[in-house]
Amino acid sequence: MIRYEFLMQIRKRSLWISMGLLAVITVLGQGDAGPRYLPDDASARVVASSWAFLWSLLLPIVAGMVLADRLVRDDRLGVSRLLESLPTTATTRVMGRFLGALAATATPIFLATVIAGGAESISREDPAVLLWTPIAFGLVLLPGLVFVGAFAMVVPLLLTAPLFRVLFVGYWFWGNMLGPSYMPSLAGTLLTPVGDYTASWLLGERALYAGADGWLQLLRPEPNGVTAALSVALLLGVGLIPLLVGSRVLARRATA
Amino acid sequence: MDITIRNLRRRFGKVEALRGVDLELSGGMFGLLGANGAGKTTLMRIIAGVLSPTSGQVLIGGHDMSTRQGRVAVQRRLGYLPQDLGLYPDLTAVEFLDYIGLLKGLDDRTARRRQIAELLEVVGLSDVANRKLKGFSGGMRRRVGIAQALLGDPALLVVDEPTAGLDPQERIRFRTLLATLPGRRTVLLSTHVVEDVAQTCRETAVMVDGRIVFTGAVSDLVRGAEGVTWEVVTSGPPPTVGEIVSAVSDAGGTRYRVVSVTPPDPAAIPVPPSLEDGYVAFMQGAAAGRSSA
Repeated sequence: MIRYEFLMQIRKRSLWISMGLLAVITVLGQGDAGPRYLPDDASARVVASSWAFLWSLLLPIVAGMVLADRLVRDDRLGVSRLLESLPTTATTRVMGRFLGALAATATPIFLATVIAGGAESISREDPAVLLWTPIAFGLVLLPGLVFVGAFAMVVPLLLTAPLFRVLFVGYWFWGNMLGPSYMPSLAGTLLTPVGDYTASWLLGERALYAGADGWLQLLRPEPNGVTAALSVALLLGVGLIPLLVGSRVLARRATA
Repeated sequence: MDITIRNLRRRFGKVEALRGVDLELSGGMFGLLGANGAGKTTLMRIIAGVLSPTSGQVLIGGHDMSTRQGRVAVQRRLGYLPQDLGLYPDLTAVEFLDYIGLLKGLDDRTARRRQIAELLEVVGLSDVANRKLKGFSGGMRRRVGIAQALLGDPALLVVDEPTAGLDPQERIRFRTLLATLPGRRTVLLSTHVVEDVAQTCRETAVMVDGRIVFTGAVSDLVRGAEGVTWEVVTSGPPPTVGEIVSAVSDAGGTRYRVVSVTPPDPAAIPVPPSLEDGYVAFMQGAAAGRSSA
């Protein structure tokens, strides 16, 4: 089941086009602080993590957008009634879809990370950058993608996919980019899906706002290895909640 | 697989779609006839376990469909072709069937793939097995639908309006396919196309306004129109007595087939009834019963 969910998602042209366009824009617009301008003696860990963090700033928006219709489109396509007549539980269906669709959606982002890591490995003549690439992807990008993907798949069941997409873009900039000193926001907390805490730990310095003073101070400990792990655990744990809710919603609908 | 339905009711807000349905059926092909909105799809969905009744009892193969265990037990042996089934456009026919097979719990990959190949042969789609479904015509999609319903060799097959939207050739092909299916299984065919039932079923039920108003052999339904089926050929206005079942124009005028208790025209001649005539005659009687009630 996961395999076919993966295939359906990976074959979406919109996934590749939107990811590709945004990746190009991200690279061109990274500015002097971007990973392209890291000093020559920067460690492989810092280089790989900087690229992973750069991708995590905007590419998850596309992930949320393309995942938003995965559960609701069954109704649109007319497949829901058939799926509900099968003996598989709603939880299995939701989890299978989530894992398959998320893996497919993460693939272009992973490829972007690998391409950047490969290019840096060559230009810096340091193969270790390429070795750090999957680690940086797994720690900086993946937890946030799980978090975003879970909400993106399930919330449209309760709202609509277009409304979710609008709200999601607003949330993304508010909850990740808007400094906590400007207005109360989730930016810089352990629940920041941009991977602020893990990136800060890998980079050895604050990546964006991790730990900066602000609203919900309890969720803003100093970034280090422990708090980075805590951030990953929280993102994965909280990401489970919408999946469980989605399973219940679909199970109820199945025999409503 | 035996099905026993007792006093089944289903309400959608203020609309009562099923108003106390009682039905018993066992193996073989069974046709459920009724006009659009009669409640057929609601009944099919309850039997398929995708809709809960408001009240009443549905027992399938001894399993109570009001319990989750009962529904799952039936769904393990069920093939369901919903009305207006959609498919995933980005999957090929083989991939879609494999996907559904997995969800049906067919875990043996080799056996599943073998069965998919056989079913694609049965429904005549072997040549396009690896083509994406978004390029399929309505008839081809319907055939994929019946193939997925047959996956796992179900003991109960529920097909809801399977020929809707098909061209005449596809419809005949589909009916032929349906007629070969029963074997030892129970096939429940819901349709508003009388000809579909006439060509495939020995037993039938008729639904009107959420109730079953007739259950029995197709031949009994036909017999109900004996002596009340007429043919009138006229170049004048159509008969005003009875219900016109068909009208065919030719050089001599228009040939009307009419169901009426009294001759619709002095020149009318009685003709042997078809199932369509029987259905119309029965509906006339049901309507008369409703209006006198």
